[in-house]
Amino acid sequence: MNIMWIAIAAAAAIGLTALATAWAQSKIGSAGAAVLAEKPELAGTVIILVAIPETMVILGFIVALSLILRAGGG
Amino acid sequence: MIVPMSRVRIIGPKDVVDAVLRAVQDLGQLQLAELPDRAGVRPARLGPARERRRRQLTRLLEDARDALHSLRVAPHRVAPATITTADFARWARLARRTRREARTLLDRQAALHDERALIARYREFLLAVLPAIRKVANSKRLTSHAVVVPASARGTVDGLASALREELGAEFTMSIHPLPGGDVAILLILPDEFSNRLEARLAEARVPEVPLPDAYRSLPLAETVPQMLARLMAIPAEVGECERSLTALRKAHGGEMTKAQAVVQDWLAAASARERTAETGHAFTIEGWLPARSVAPLEQRVREAAGPTVIVETIAREDWGAEDAPVVLSNPRLFRPFEKLIALLPLPRYGSIDPTPFVAVFFPLIFGMMLGDVGYGIVLGAIALIVHARAKPGSLARTAAEIAGPCAAFAIVFGVLFGEFFGDIARRTLGVRPLLLDREQAVFATLAAAVGLGVVHVVLGLALGAVAAGRKDARRAVGRGVSAVMVLLVVAALLAAFKVLPARLFTPAVILLLVAFPVLVFAEGVLGMIELMTTLGNVLSYARVMAIGTASVILAVVANQMVGAVGSTVVGLLFALLFHLVNFAIGVFSPAIHALRLHYVEFFGKFYSPGGRPYEPFGHGTAAAVPATQEKPA
Repeated sequence: MNIMWIAIAAAAAIGLTALATAWAQSKIGSAGAAVLAEKPELAGTVIILVAIPETMVILGFIVALSLILRAGGG
Repeated sequence: MIVPMSRVRIIGPKDVVDAVLRAVQDLGQLQLAELPDRAGVRPARLGPARERRRRQLTRLLEDARDALHSLRVAPHRVAPATITTADFARWARLARRTRREARTLLDRQAALHDERALIARYREFLLAVLPAIRKVANSKRLTSHAVVVPASARGTVDGLASALREELGAEFTMSIHPLPGGDVAILLILPDEFSNRLEARLAEARVPEVPLPDAYRSLPLAETVPQMLARLMAIPAEVGECERSLTALRKAHGGEMTKAQAVVQDWLAAASARERTAETGHAFTIEGWLPARSVAPLEQRVREAAGPTVIVETIAREDWGAEDAPVVLSNPRLFRPFEKLIALLPLPRYGSIDPTPFVAVFFPLIFGMMLGDVGYGIVLGAIALIVHARAKPGSLARTAAEIAGPCAAFAIVFGVLFGEFFGDIARRTLGVRPLLLDREQAVFATLAAAVGLGVVHVVLGLALGAVAAGRKDARRAVGRGVSAVMVLLVVAALLAAFKVLPARLFTPAVILLLVAFPVLVFAEGVLGMIELMTTLGNVLSYARVMAIGTASVILAVVANQMVGAVGSTVVGLLFALLFHLVNFAIGVFSPAIHALRLHYVEFFGKFYSPGGRPYEPFGHGTAAAVPATQEKPA
C-alpha cells in the first residue's frame, strides 16, 4: 500500500509538472513562432522563453526520482 | 574577446575630402559615426548633379540586382577596373535590357510550367474520354461538356447526376474520373438541345468547366484534346530553350552586371559617406569607430592619399560612451564557430564580457555529458567530417559541422567514462566496465554529477558577473561574488549533511552562510536573496543533463534488447537499428537544445550584458575596389 502511494506520488510529481510545462510551452511556443515570423533575429530570446518552463518538469523529475529512490526503486 | 575600439576624428582641407573618403573606403575598417553638433560646422550636402547621378545609379542598381537575381548569378568578387561616365551609361542601358529579357524568359518559363501542370493534371481523364469525345464529334445530335467538381463538393456528384438524368432524359450520360488532390473530372454527354439547360444547371451548382489553356478555349473538345496531349510532349523542349536562352544571357552579361552592381554599390556608399562628413568654409571633418589596432594603418592610408594636411586624431576614451561603440568579436580559430551560438542573442555590449570562449568549452562538454556514448559520438563525428568536407567555408552547414566536431569528441570521452557503446553493447559483449559511473544503474550518482557541473557553471557565471560589474559598480560586483561564495557554501553544507564531505564542515559552512547573508543584502538589497534562491534553482536545472542522458542510454539498451526479443534475428536487428537511429536523432537534437538553454538562461543570466551595436564599416561590398582613376564619387 505504502509503495503504491509512493508510486502515485512520483507519477503525480512528474505528470503534473509535465502537463504544466506543456501548457506553458504551448502558449509561449505559438507566440514565439509568431514573433519569429516577424523578427527572425529574436530566435535566441524565443528559445529562452520557450525553455524557461522546462525547469518545472525537471524539478518534478527530481522529486519523483527521490521518492522512488527512497522507496528502494533505484 | 571583444576587440578594443577607438573613436577617431579626421580633419583636413575640403578639397581632399574625396581622396580621404576613398582611402577610408579602401581600408574598409572605419564605421562612420554621427557627428556631434558644433558651432560653425554644417553637414555636407551633395550638389544637384551628384543627386541626379545618385538617382540614376539607384535605378541602375535595382535593374542590375533584379537581372542578376533572375539570371541566378551568385555573388562573387570581381577584379578592380577603371570606370568612366560612359561605363555607367552603358551599364544603365545594359541592366535595363538584361532585366527585361531575363524577366520575359522567366515569365515564359513559368507559363510553360503552368501549362504543363494543367495538362498533366487532366491527362488521364482526357485520354480516357477521348474516344467518347470523338464519337460525340461525329454525331450531329450530341454535345459534350467536361467539368470539374472540387474535392470539397465531391459528395454532391451523385445528387447532381440523378437530377440531370431526370431532367435531360435517358440520352444523358456521364463518366467520372478522380483527379489528384481529390477533385473529380466529369465528361457529360447529352443531346445538343439540352446544352443551354445543362450550362444553367452547372452554373447554379457552381460546377466549373475543365480549365483549358487560353489557346484552346475557342476550339471544340474533340480538337482540343489531341492538341493538348501533343503539347505535353512539346513543352519540355520549349522550357529547355528558355533555359538555354537564360544561360546564354547569363554568360553574356552576368559578369558585367556583377561588376556594375559592385561598382555602383561602392559609388552609392561613398556618396552616403560624403553626406556624413561635416564642413566649414574650408575644412571637413568626419568621425568613426575602428579597431584600435587599425588606427595606424588608417593614418598611413590617409597620409598617402591626401598628404600631411589631413589629421587623424584619436578621441580620448573618456569622451565617448561604451554604449555607442560597435562590437567586434575576435576569437581563436577553434572557438570562432561558437560565435554563431552567441549571434542568436543580441550582441554583448561593448566593454562587457564575450562569452564565446566559455561557450566553446562548456557547450560541447554539456552536450557530450548528455549524449555520452562512444558509438553515437563516432557516428556524429563522421557526419561532422563529411559535412565539413562538403560544405562551403563560412556556410551554416560548415559552422554546424565545426560545432558538432568537439561535441562528438566530448560524447566519445564521456562514453568511455560511462562505458557506453551504442548503449550496453560493449558491456554485454566485451565485458567493458565504466571508468566513472554506470548511468543506467547509478541514477543518483549521475544526478549528483550533473548538479555538480551546474555548480561549476553557475559559479563561473557569477564570477564573470562580478568581474563585469567590477568595471563600473563595485557594490554589485561584491554582491555577485558573495552570491558565488554562498552557492558554494550551500553545496558544502549539503554535502557535509549527507556525509559526502566530513560532517564537521557542516557547522562552519552554515556559520559562513549566516555571515555572508547580511553582506549580500547590503550589496544587492533584498532582491539579492531572491536572486540567490533563483541561482540555486538554476543549479538544480542542470539535473536535465542527467535526465536526458539516462533517457538516452535506456533507449539504447531497449534498442539492443530488440535483437533477441523479436522472433527473427534479422527483423530484431532491423528494429534495433531503427530504434538506434531514432535515439541518435533525439540524442543529438535534445542535448543541443538543452545545452543551449543552460547557457542562455542559467549561465548568461549571471553576467551577459546584451545591447551591443553591430560593426558595419564603410568599405567595398563583395566586389571590386573603386580605383583612384575612376570617376570621383564626390
